[in-house]
Parts: sequence; structure tokens; C-alpha cells
Amino acid sequence: MELEKVLKKHFGYQSFKTGQKEVITSILAGRDSLAMLPTGTGKSLCYQLPGIILEGQILIISPLLSLMQDQVEQFKRFGEKRVIALNSFLSAEERNRALHHLNQYKFIFISPEMMRVPYILRKLQELPIALFVVDEAHCISQWGFDFRPDYSKLGDIRKKLGNPLTLALTATATQKVREDIIASLDLEEIVKIESTIDRPNIGFYVKELIDYRDKQANILELVANLKKPGIIYFSSKKTAEQMANLLTEKGICQAMAYHGGLDQNTRILIQQQFIYGQLDVICATSAFGMGINKENIRFIIHYHMPMQIESYLQEIGRAGRDGDPSIAILLYSPGDEHLPIQLAENELPSEQQIDWLFKKITDEQLFKNGNISLDMKLMELGGFTEIQWRIIENFVKNSSLETANLKGLQWTINNFVKERLTIKKNNIYSMKKWIETNSCRRENILKYFDEVKTKEVNPCCDICGLQLNDYQAINHLTVPSAKTDVKNWNDYLSKILINGELRE
Amino acid sequence: MMQIESIILYSIKQLNRERTIYSIYHLLNGKKSSQTIQDAHLFSLKKFFGIYEQLSRESFDEIYQAMVEKNWLINNGEQRYSLTTSGMTLLENNPLPQYINGWNFHQITSLFWERLSLLIQVVSNLAFCESRYIPIQKNIDVHNWLKSTLKDITVPRLELGPALYSELNKCFKTAKVIDPSLLVFRLTGFQQIGLTPLQVAAKLNLDIHNYQVGFTNILHYLIQKIMEEENQLKILPYLIDELIQDDELTLSSRKTQKLLLQGHSPDIIAKLRHLKLSTIEDHLVELALNAADFSIDTYVDRELQHEILEVSRQKASKQLKVIKEKIGAATYFQIRLVLAKHGDR
Repeated sequence: MELEKVLKKHFGYQSFKTGQKEVITSILAGRDSLAMLPTGTGKSLCYQLPGIILEGQILIISPLLSLMQDQVEQFKRFGEKRVIALNSFLSAEERNRALHHLNQYKFIFISPEMMRVPYILRKLQELPIALFVVDEAHCISQWGFDFRPDYSKLGDIRKKLGNPLTLALTATATQKVREDIIASLDLEEIVKIESTIDRPNIGFYVKELIDYRDKQANILELVANLKKPGIIYFSSKKTAEQMANLLTEKGICQAMAYHGGLDQNTRILIQQQFIYGQLDVICATSAFGMGINKENIRFIIHYHMPMQIESYLQEIGRAGRDGDPSIAILLYSPGDEHLPIQLAENELPSEQQIDWLFKKITDEQLFKNGNISLDMKLMELGGFTEIQWRIIENFVKNSSLETANLKGLQWTINNFVKERLTIKKNNIYSMKKWIETNSCRRENILKYFDEVKTKEVNPCCDICGLQLNDYQAINHLTVPSAKTDVKNWNDYLSKILINGELRE
Repeated sequence: MMQIESIILYSIKQLNRERTIYSIYHLLNGKKSSQTIQDAHLFSLKKFFGIYEQLSRESFDEIYQAMVEKNWLINNGEQRYSLTTSGMTLLENNPLPQYINGWNFHQITSLFWERLSLLIQVVSNLAFCESRYIPIQKNIDVHNWLKSTLKDITVPRLELGPALYSELNKCFKTAKVIDPSLLVFRLTGFQQIGLTPLQVAAKLNLDIHNYQVGFTNILHYLIQKIMEEENQLKILPYLIDELIQDDELTLSSRKTQKLLLQGHSPDIIAKLRHLKLSTIEDHLVELALNAADFSIDTYVDRELQHEILEVSRQKASKQLKVIKEKIGAATYFQIRLVLAKHGDR
């Protein structure tokens, strides 16, 4: 059978993107596979297409709820209705209904914590699972930047499901993380499809500036001149808002902020406005970009320093999916590493908080019959954030307290926190080293992922002589490039409801 | 001056210093407490019930404090306010939103909007033969509603767009003092994404609170219009299908009503339903407000009823405490029942 025919018939594409065909062939040959494909190359096709050919269910483990919803919607847009996402968005009723008719779905998305509910696992065990897909597989490794303790149990779960054919997918994983993925899933003979992480059409440019004022002024100038559309990434919601307002007020372009603090309706609208060209620039936090398919993004600017090279690569990877020249600009001023370090620390509970909690547990005798009753009140009292609290809960739930004691558990948590912090600080340090380097930036990123630069790219990066002028809009005086809008409500309404061509 | 300010001025006037300023906040928010529900009736503020659910307490504080600074309101202590002369003049010269009807429509307003915006998006994409797009509404019930509605509508698919356009246009044409832009620019269609509330407000140079109230006003206008012209419209009536109910009782009160009709006493009903007696009493007050055939004679002697009404009139007050001080024999529950049943609407 010709895979290209299936591709054309079901998805409307003429040809495969890098790596897709290799992965699909490997899966269809019944071999466990690890695929590292760069962002934007359509990783989901690697299980979507086999799903059409293989009998039985395709189970996809995905870490992010929002991403899961996006994927389900994409499936539906392509006419695949036999798809369900089992996650905490479902009401108890919806979930029960879905679980009773699980065999009617072809594609089942599930979050790792759901897999650990015994009832749900039993339901999954009843299914003929054709393919076990681990999306964002780097979350398995504690060396990964996005380690999720729930993910590290997937090897166990895979066994309980009878070792189904497995596909681990990731966009950015160092050699060490890839080895961890294979070991953790207990995959013996595995086919590795590792396409280069290099995106030759994206140029690198690091600009060192004095302070944030200097950065602001630079953004205004850059955005005014660069070819649009583009995304500017921030680590702070407030700065993102301010910059978006500034850009709009100065008449430089149509810009909006996007971050987790906005309500769902607003987020959807802004995302869609950007996709349909009604906005030129999005001032975003890292909440923006997952599952966004926009081909023609021309620049990505980083206002703050990213937490690690992996996420930096993912974010700049949203540029230039159409293959046209695009630019990734990072603004750096001395001392910028303090913010990511602070953010990293905030993600973890501090030693004082842990001390306080365990004293509370002892004092109030919350440790009974090998169980600790963790009240949400303690979260508030101890000033834990949700992310911090989840880490604590995870340890408390998963340790067999009959054999261990409180002191031991406290030591384990403290140790975990220290380890995570060291890893995160090293990541930030690697990022800083990359910023301060005097040699080719592309080569350095490739080296980080244990790749060797094999061919010259031109333009490459600021060190290799890349000129920002090459990325300027030709007649940038005629901004804004975003669609001019309709002034009158009546015209607007008739424009969307009446198709002039059909009227004839 | 903002419409939200007119509404606050009007509410303060109606409250006549008998409630705190925050009872207005609860009113606009549509708080489902029997106090707020009863206030809406007692002080004739029903139409503003639940018209601005997104309003935060901080914003409310900002708005009314600015009104105090502008010398429209006087603080009478204990969070009670009254109008100054200039406040009174302003109220007289600034019309209240004309079509807003919170009491009847607050429960269906957002669902109506979700249906309308999804319908337009789907019809627009049908008109342009586009099948790949992301639905702007995520509510699964609304998706199901749309599916069955599209099956029911008798207008041919390709004529749906123009038909919907002319129905909406017809509705808006007859509206006075309404700017349909507030609603229309929010709509998403084929390759055209609607604006967020903040974006429309900025585009039309409106304060966000003014925008939100105006938006609700238009939705209520449209709902009302569709109800009135149901026979002349082919598509729009589906938007209110199964949304409009004849009586205004909450689900829980309706259950209590059923048990009362079966002859159970409030005490027994409380036990049967595992609810507090005070909750059941709230239901009875709600019944007294809304169900014309509900008699309160079982709970309050006719004579006591007269007495309570008399005191309320003499003292020109609807404050329970004031009445209770005069008539020691009456319970608070009895006073509430009487005011609910006979107080002017």
C-alpha cells in the first residue's frame, strides 16, 4: 500500500514532512519507536495515519490539558469524530459515559494522572490497544526541563497494558534524556528516528542592551522595521500587557497580550485573530504557542531570558514553518539570569516551607495509620503555590508510609527539591553561556543536542555575520499590515453572512 | 456619564437608605441569596438583577467611590448612601438602559449569546463553503443545540446566511437608542474573528463597564424582540428555544412547592430534603414573590398580615428590624413572607 495515497486521501497533503514517513513505516512494521522531530513538522500525523490502518485503539498520553483539547479539535476538523480526551475537563457524568463506550473511540487522549486511577486503567486493559503513544516524552526524564513525576510511572502502566506497540515522541531532548526515555519505558529494541533539530531558515540574533528601558525602546524599533507577523515572549504577564499597549498606542502595529490570566473566550479570540492576520504581533508568556499552526510567523523576540535551551528552541521553532527566512532575536541585559532563577525557585517548595509543613504534621498529629491527611488549608497557610503543592502531594501519596517515617519522607522531598533546583540552575547557566558565546550560535545549539553542524547555513547568526536588515519589511512605512477593519456594523454583518460570489 | 452610574444612582434612590451599597453590587452580580432576590422585588429593581455578573468588587468600589468624589452621593454611615441634588438631577437627565430586563433574562443571557455567536460562525462558514475552522464556543450543550437546530431549520443551507442577515437587520432596524456595533463586532465568521469586549470598547471609545452594560442591553433587546416577532422570524426563534420559562422559580423552590402541594409541612420538607429549615423558608418567600396562587395564610394570621403592612407603611420602611421592633409577636420569617406577598412591586 502506498502511504502517500493514504496521506492524500485522508489528510489532503501531497507529501510527508521530514521524518514522518520513517516513523510511520517503523510503526506499521510493528517496531517500538522513538521519534525526535523538530517542532512544527506535524508529529501527530505519526500516530494519526497508522490509526487509519491499524486495528484497535490508539492511546495517546499527553501532559498538557490545553494541548489535548487542541489536538482533539484538530482531529474533528479533519473529520475524525471517534476521538475523546479523558481528562479533568470532563464532568463525572461525561467521563462515565465515555468509559462505558470506550471501544467506540479510535483515538483516546489521556493525561498521565488519569491512567493511574485503577478503574480507568482496568477499562483500558479491556481494549485491544494498537499503539501506545507517549507525547512530549521528554517529561519522563528528570534530566528533562519539564520533568513530570507522573510520567515516570508510564513504564509500569505500559506493562500493565500488556506491552503494546509504543511510540515515544519529542521535539527537544538531549542524548541523556533520550536514553532515559528508552530505559523508563523499558523498550528493548527500538527504532530511533532522530531528525536534526536545526531549522536552517531561522537566523539567530542576540542583542546585548543596558537595561529594560533600552529593551523597550529596541522592541519598538525592531517591531516597526521587521517583517511581520511575529511573537514577543515575556516571563511576566504585566510586561507583556504593557508592551502590547505601547505597540498599539504608538501605532506601530496591531498587538495584543496573551497569557494564562485571560479568560478562555478571550484567549481563543486572540489566538484566532493572530492566525487570521487581524493581529501583527502577540506579546505572550509561554502559555502561548502550543498547538498553534501558523505558517508565516517571521520573527520571535525574547524580551526575558528563557529558562533553558530546550524551551527556547521550541518557542523560536514557531517561526518560519513555511520555510521562508525568519529571525529569532534575544534581548539580553546584564543580570537577566536572576529572573529565571527566581522563577525556578518559585516552582519548588522552599526548605523552610517543608520544615513548617512537617512540624505541622507532627504537632497536629496528621500522621495516622500510615496516612497523612493533607488539607488544602495547609497549602494556604504555608504559602504554597499550586505547583509547589502538587509536588508535595505527589510525594505524600506515593510513598509507603508504613515502612518509612516522617523524617525520611521530609529528607526525600528536600533532596528532590535540591536536585531539581541544581538541574534548573544548570539549564539557566547553559542558556547564559550560549548568549555569551563568541562562536557560531547554531553550532552551539546543535552541540547541546549532540549533533554536529554538517552544512553551512547563510544567513546563520549574529556571530557569523547575519544582518538584521535582511529581515526588514520592504515598505515598513505603510504599517499596519493587519487587515484594515470594517467601520460600520451593517457592512460587517453582511460581509460575514453574505457570500457575494454565490449571489450571482 | 456612564450607564452603570445611572443604574447605581437609580438603585440608591430606590433603596432609600434601607440597604447598604453592597446590596447593589449583589443585585448587579445576580447573587442567588433570598435577601438579594427579595430586595430586587421590594425596591423594584428586578430589571437590574444579574445584568453584570463579571463586575468585580474592586471595580464596583472604584465606580461608586468616584461617584462620591464627584459629589453625586453622600455617605450616611454604615455603608448606606443617598443622592445629592446633583445626583438627582443627573438621574433625571440620563435615561436608564431601555431594554435591560435582568430578572427575566439573566439566567439565559450568556447561553443566548453562546448560541447566537456559534450559529453565526457556523452559518457564515457554510455560506463560504468552509468546513475547517475552530468553533469559538466550547460549550458542548451549545454544540448539540446547534446540531439539532440545523436539522430543524427549513431554510436551504446556502440561503441561511442572507436569511439570518435580514432577520438580524430587521430586528436592529427598529431599535431606538441602541448601537448594534456593540454586539456585531464581537461576532466571528468566515475568516473573520470577532473582537473581545475590551477590543470593541476601545474601538468604539467606550469605557469597559459602559460597554458591558450596553452589550447586555442589546442582548435583552434582541431576546425580547424575538419573543414578540416569533411568527415573522424563521431562524432567530431557535435561539430562545426551551430557554424561556413561564414562571421564575428556582429548581429547588419548585421541589419544595411540589412537597407542599402533597401536604407536607416546612419542618417535614426540611427533613425529607436534608436541608435547613431556613432554606425551606427562603423557598416559601420565593413562592410568595412569584407564585400568585400561593397563600401565606397558613403561616401568618390575616390580622398579623395587616398589622405588618400597616407598620411598614407608617414607617415607610421595608427593613425587617424596624418592623420587628414594633411587632414583637411576628417572626422575621413572617415579616418577610408578608412583604414578599403584599409589598409593592
